[in-house]
Amino acid sequence: MTGAAIFFQQIINGVSLGAVYALLALGFTLVYGILELINFAHFSVFMVGAFIALVVLQLFGLQGQSVILHGAALVITLLVALAITMVLFGALGVAIERYTLRPMRNVKGPMAMITTIGVSYILFNLVLLATNAQALNYPDPMPEVAYHVGGVVIRLKEILIWIVAAVLMVGLNLFVKRTKIGKAMRAVAQDAEAARMMGVDVDRVVMIAFFAGSALAGAAGMIFGLYYNFTQYSIGYTAGLRAFTAAVLGGIGNVPGAMLGGIVIGLIETLGSQYIAARWADVIIFSILIGTLVFRPAGLLGMLAPNRS
Amino acid sequence: MMISRRLALRTSAATAALAAAGLNVAFAADKVYRIGITLPLTGADAEAAHLILNGALLAIKLANASGELKGITLEPMVLNNATATAGQYDPAQAATNARKLVGDKKVLANVGPEMSGSGKAMAPILSMGILATITPSSTAPDITSAQYAGEFDPGGKPIYFRTVTTDAYQGPNMANFYAETLKTPSVYVLDDSGAYGVGLADAFEAQAKKKGIKVLGRDRLDPKAADYSAVLTKIKATGTSSLYYGGTMQAAVKLVKQSYQIVPKIIKGGGDGILSPEMMTAAGFPAAEGWYATNASPHVVDDPKLASWVALYSKTYNLQPDDYAITSYDAALVAIAGIKAVQASGKPLTSANVRDAIQTVHVNGLQGPISFDKYGDLETRVVAVFQFKQNKSAPLADLNKQSVYIGVAPQS
Repeated sequence: MTGAAIFFQQIINGVSLGAVYALLALGFTLVYGILELINFAHFSVFMVGAFIALVVLQLFGLQGQSVILHGAALVITLLVALAITMVLFGALGVAIERYTLRPMRNVKGPMAMITTIGVSYILFNLVLLATNAQALNYPDPMPEVAYHVGGVVIRLKEILIWIVAAVLMVGLNLFVKRTKIGKAMRAVAQDAEAARMMGVDVDRVVMIAFFAGSALAGAAGMIFGLYYNFTQYSIGYTAGLRAFTAAVLGGIGNVPGAMLGGIVIGLIETLGSQYIAARWADVIIFSILIGTLVFRPAGLLGMLAPNRS
Repeated sequence: MMISRRLALRTSAATAALAAAGLNVAFAADKVYRIGITLPLTGADAEAAHLILNGALLAIKLANASGELKGITLEPMVLNNATATAGQYDPAQAATNARKLVGDKKVLANVGPEMSGSGKAMAPILSMGILATITPSSTAPDITSAQYAGEFDPGGKPIYFRTVTTDAYQGPNMANFYAETLKTPSVYVLDDSGAYGVGLADAFEAQAKKKGIKVLGRDRLDPKAADYSAVLTKIKATGTSSLYYGGTMQAAVKLVKQSYQIVPKIIKGGGDGILSPEMMTAAGFPAAEGWYATNASPHVVDDPKLASWVALYSKTYNLQPDDYAITSYDAALVAIAGIKAVQASGKPLTSANVRDAIQTVHVNGLQGPISFDKYGDLETRVVAVFQFKQNKSAPLADLNKQSVYIGVAPQS
């Protein structure tokens, strides 16, 4: 491989990895934007998402690597499975909000954040017990098609992941910016009390934010499983931490910032592995994060916190 | 849930067999002594650990049934080294178990642990309590190295014995195999950041350089990360003819899958950390096809001379044994031989006296003659090499059927 081919191959790798981080980062940023709460349950929600998506795919007859789909069958099957997973996951997010976080809404201090850590551990341990910590093989229904462009290999699987991630991210951005509910979400983020006085149902808005964030985590879980062809109880930790970093780097509370942050973290990881060493990945990522926060505390695109003045 | 149920059934079967053995031979006049068996019986390592457990249980059962231990009956004391929080073996739990063993004066020796991480936590406690443990599978050399005696052997007398050889041979002998048998001109070395993986990869790398293999790079994987495509792209760009991985399955599941996509044609191999059913059930074929792996013991489970033992094991536990089930059986034989030697000498039956006897014992194990050097390491240093090859007519998780034995790695 030439130097240029290696560079562009790592860009491809970084964008694919970054797309998963970006989808996850959106969940952090949506909840933080509205409640100023770091939702650590999101780490495990993503992991559970990959397992539920696996069950959904198996219901569609996709087991192991025995079934390869083509054309419309592939697209329709995956889209329906994705939609079911997202709805199931949105519902899980709503349940977490309704039964664990809403009772904490008016409690001062870090109690709500600690509750999310507790929820994360419960989900983590439930999956661990159910699977006995075994890694599970994911179905691989996509045909192994790869395009070679000047020494760079781009797989069909990667292209599909970019498309799905881009559609979901742009869709969410439009939802927040263009719809009435999105406007209500922004209003609650700005000043929940004022929004309530203006007739906005704050509980409903928070619920929708959790639904959307969790649905995206479910989608990220399914994309993760299909891309890497495996899932395990421990997958949420590193990916969740990187996605949280991405959200902070992009400007937590800022939707385009989360997307940008995800892609940037993905690129830093792959280019750092290529030109420095994989073992330095965390050091590089967190050094850049700290540097950004020191010199630009609001992150790349965000404001430090929603303006409540 | 299915996996948990299966494991529960296995444990029940083992317990039932044990109870039956006790009922057959426990005469009223016999004094009961214990042999500890400490293994990660739940979590990611559970399948391999149950094969090992059964090996030790079978040896104890047969010793009790034969009446060779005059006047005493041995009772296994099975302790789990794994926790739900860790999801696999947990050194903190291993240390707790070691304290339990040392605190029980009826315990004369221990079989285990499976993993070196547990061994490092247990060794200082067992050393201070003078209780010998015989590991059937943990291979990190530093636990029995004179250099680290202050850390792992503060009591001054070796208590950590092995019925397998160490990574000081497993890594280098595989490097010999890469150089002499596979004749690979270059290699890229990876590890999984763990104590076992780093040590194994270091030992491989040093010997590979000595044998004239060009080491084109060395890097470390985060076992909890999902994506190794960046480092694999880097490896591809070096043009290396082979890859060696030191580590366990947590990182290997992903490395095996992704290396099949990115560097499908180069030679790939690792240590006993990847000689696991998860290579087939989680990494899967065709990705696992062609990978080489070693065991730090001879491959004897297929030896026709052991057919009756294999049949007995399979009948008793409804499972096919592997080579580490054999080294575990041998580990229990070592403990039993130590007890018999103390009985013969007329000394009191204490764990300290059993330890002294084990140091000089010569046992005819299933794998061949077993004796230990002054550090507790096995004097024969055989490393077996296997290659994963899919066998569609056998169950996917059957390691014996989904891999083929290549031979003993060169020791030069």
